[in-house]
Amino acid sequence: MTDFLATYGFLLVTMIQAGLLGLSLYFPLQAGQLSLASPGFYALGGYTAAIMLTNPALSGLRDSLGNGIFPLTWLVAALLAGVLGLAVGIPALRLRGIYLALATIAFVEILRVISLNLTITGGAIGIFGIPQPFGIADRWQYVFIFGPLLILALLFARQLERSRVGRGLRAIREDELAADAMGVPPTQYKVLAFVIGAVLAGIVGAMSAPLLSSWNARQGTFDASIATLAFVLIGGSRNIWGPVVGGALLTAVPEVLRFLADWRLVINGLVLVVASLYLPQGIVGALERLGRPRPPQRPAPVQPAEVKP
Amino acid sequence: MEFSQFIQNLMNGLAIGSVYAIFALGYTLVFSILGIINFAHGAVFTLGAYFTYTLVVGQFENNGLLKGINLFPNGSPLSGHPLTFAFATLIGAILAGLVAVLIERLAFRPMRSRGADPLLALVSSLGVALVIVNLIQLLVGAEIYNFPSDAYGSTPPALSFTLGGKIVIIRTVQVIIFAVSLVMLVILGYVIGRTKIGKALRAVAENPTTASLLGISVDRFIVITFFLSGFLGGLAGTLVGTAFGVAGPYFGVVYGLKGLAVIVLGGLGSIPGAVLGGLVIGLAEAFVPAQYSAYKDAVAFALLFVILLVRPQGLLGRSAIQKV
Repeated sequence: MTDFLATYGFLLVTMIQAGLLGLSLYFPLQAGQLSLASPGFYALGGYTAAIMLTNPALSGLRDSLGNGIFPLTWLVAALLAGVLGLAVGIPALRLRGIYLALATIAFVEILRVISLNLTITGGAIGIFGIPQPFGIADRWQYVFIFGPLLILALLFARQLERSRVGRGLRAIREDELAADAMGVPPTQYKVLAFVIGAVLAGIVGAMSAPLLSSWNARQGTFDASIATLAFVLIGGSRNIWGPVVGGALLTAVPEVLRFLADWRLVINGLVLVVASLYLPQGIVGALERLGRPRPPQRPAPVQPAEVKP
Repeated sequence: MEFSQFIQNLMNGLAIGSVYAIFALGYTLVFSILGIINFAHGAVFTLGAYFTYTLVVGQFENNGLLKGINLFPNGSPLSGHPLTFAFATLIGAILAGLVAVLIERLAFRPMRSRGADPLLALVSSLGVALVIVNLIQLLVGAEIYNFPSDAYGSTPPALSFTLGGKIVIIRTVQVIIFAVSLVMLVILGYVIGRTKIGKALRAVAENPTTASLLGISVDRFIVITFFLSGFLGGLAGTLVGTAFGVAGPYFGVVYGLKGLAVIVLGGLGSIPGAVLGGLVIGLAEAFVPAQYSAYKDAVAFALLFVILLVRPQGLLGRSAIQKV
């Protein structure tokens, strides 16, 4: 068991982490809003935690709080991501479809360039030597931090789906005009979904900074946006398990293919192509369809007997 | 800003802006026909530069599977002469166009025939980009390759003059980039605006179903569109490569993103919009003051963000009437 955890523990943690990031993108998608902003908020959360945990100006605070500093970083990251999400979300959610996707890509890129050039974020080098929380010695022990967050996020997502707000979000996804006419305020609900996603991504970032023990501008890039989108679409975008399964699987693929050495990234690309071609509902969507009883089939038309001349 | 500095920035901006324009045209053509963004376009850009490099030099010296293999043992027939370099550029662009057609065939057509979610086309094209970029890295390594100095990369300046005591230098390669892009734009404008093929393309872009009812083979025009798109992308790759060197397999990623900013700024699906957007972003980047040059890469995206908030249909785009 310890051997297994030593070898695959870190992978396990990154799989959960990817599932969480997928979920953060799933919330706005529930209202039909394709947002690629998650890596931006993830990077912001990571920087928040990294700065709070290493900046000399805050050493007094760290000494007095002890391990309490870590939950505080999660809280501050959530708060900052929420505020920024609100600031970006309100204007950006006037946009639809591909325009919203492009606006959020622009947002992530702007954040990246800014973080590359500020002193407080360590410029291109980033921030190093981020301490480990709660005396964690092995990285697999981060399961105890990310695992509960995943369970909480899933419970929250399930409760949200069953609530009035969740039904409102789905109504907006299906037909925004009709939803509006039925008294669902689309803008408020869309912004809410966007901010929920932002807060989750921010917390995941704050938890990931110690996990990686360094943080730099490479954490929030366009590539990450796309990877996160792939988690959701490959996993399935209509069920809370979709992003989790997709994130976990797509994170595992390059590791499982390690024996292919240099070819694994090529194969990774092929996996994306093939999965999007043959699993249009995502993996969870396909499984759901398998589990559902088949709709009654119309009997095959009787072939007219062949008439011999 | 002094006048000489202004002229220098203007020239730099026009040269890079015109490449952005022809690169972004490839995006916008595909978008206007299929309504999807082909994220593999940046990878095709990279491929164009590598194809030309292969034709001119014939071997790759750094690591990678092709290391040490010499494609043209007696020296490349296409090296050492500006005219043959132009020829290699053309073939490189054609090869890039063929790759784009292949991408359409393998990654987009099966999805289209099944009527899948356009979002999935996005993921699929990203998968293709990942495959191409990593194949390049496997084959020729991650290093920077420079076009040989006897290609037009490092010929003496086309023009240098003194203006108010300051020297303004216009590099030959800038003039060539600008001229080639301009010629491409004129040809493309003619083909799309004046010829029968162009008319059919516009019909398909307007409404594929009606076009096919009128006897236009939609699939064929989608193939033509992808070829044109890849051709323009590959050409842009070589042109940028001659100016800055082919900066490894990830060469096209930044351009891929900036191309997105260009087409949204100009108006998604609009051809004049892509040209205008390219020039605006090229010039805006050139005029970023030297002390803020670190923020240059954010200029395109800041413009993109602003335009989306002020005028989501872009500068020259029509506002689509959309039932939400």
